[in-house]
Amino acid sequence: MNAVSSPLLGGSLPPELRQLLQSPDGTAFEQALDTLVRQREQHLFRALGVLARDLHDAVRRLGSELAHEGVPDSVADARRHLHDVLDMSAQAAHRSLDFAERMRPQAEALQQSAARVLAGGTGEAAALARQADEFAGRCREGLSDMVLAQSWQDLSGQRIKKVAGFIGSVESSLLELVRLTGALAGGEAPVAAAGVSSQDEADRLLSEFGF
Amino acid sequence: MKILVVDDFSTMRRIVRNLLVELGFSNTLIQEADDGDSALALLRSASFDLVVTDWNMPNMTGIDLLRAIRAEPATKALPVLMVTAENNREQIIAAAQAGVNGYIVKPFTAITLKEKLDRIFERLAAQGATA
Repeated sequence: MNAVSSPLLGGSLPPELRQLLQSPDGTAFEQALDTLVRQREQHLFRALGVLARDLHDAVRRLGSELAHEGVPDSVADARRHLHDVLDMSAQAAHRSLDFAERMRPQAEALQQSAARVLAGGTGEAAALARQADEFAGRCREGLSDMVLAQSWQDLSGQRIKKVAGFIGSVESSLLELVRLTGALAGGEAPVAAAGVSSQDEADRLLSEFGF
Repeated sequence: MKILVVDDFSTMRRIVRNLLVELGFSNTLIQEADDGDSALALLRSASFDLVVTDWNMPNMTGIDLLRAIRAEPATKALPVLMVTAENNREQIIAAAQAGVNGYIVKPFTAITLKEKLDRIFERLAAQGATA
């Protein structure tokens, strides 16, 4: 079989390989092939080494930036801050709702009293009762608007939850990256990323890589 | 009358409860659940006349709750009103296909809530009259 003209091994072969294939000496062919493969492997390993070092440096830089920026001084802190905001906004919204729920029965009672006075008389007392009735009615409308306005907490809270979830996934990707680059640059990683379950473990893993 | 309000945000549950009271559902027993799972447990333990549910919730979402309600013989005809910030076409279609009775996009007004509730109960009454 003529290897050179075979469609499988045709013109895409490097010239040195094509020469080898035509060589009648089997041992020389194998040796030359070994050398060629080794050369290619070395290129690949060198490239991988450079990539691992660059990656490791980049992650280390990122880690030290996170540590030096102060507030928030870690990804986990950022997530905690967001949950604090969520809690505080819920508390604030509940306080407004407390107020509305406390005031609504008072407005209703005022309206009922005013109606009784209005039914029984004329003159200044009735005029005042009419005014009280109108005021209480407007208060009820206003309280109702205020209740509805508290939906901002739910709408903004949902967005905050989404961002907190995103930060969580960035955090686990970052840990995985640290583990991978650690494994590439310095042998075996101390802890598998899948085993990272608590913040303490995460912090320990990060510190083992100098974060 | 018994209404179940389902939302993972306690503020939203309270807002819906306030609006229902204001709309005249004052003789109504309003119960709350913070996700689909706990809502289903409540629905299995007692009978309700209406469910008002959010879409985005942990564990079991509103759409899954709706499908579970429709899948169970005891609750398959229970009116479900969805109150959600999700307002894209696909989700509204999914809710309609799953058999939702009303769909309100947050933020909403008391008037919108009243309109949707009125329509749900009008249809129920019409169904009851023809049945």
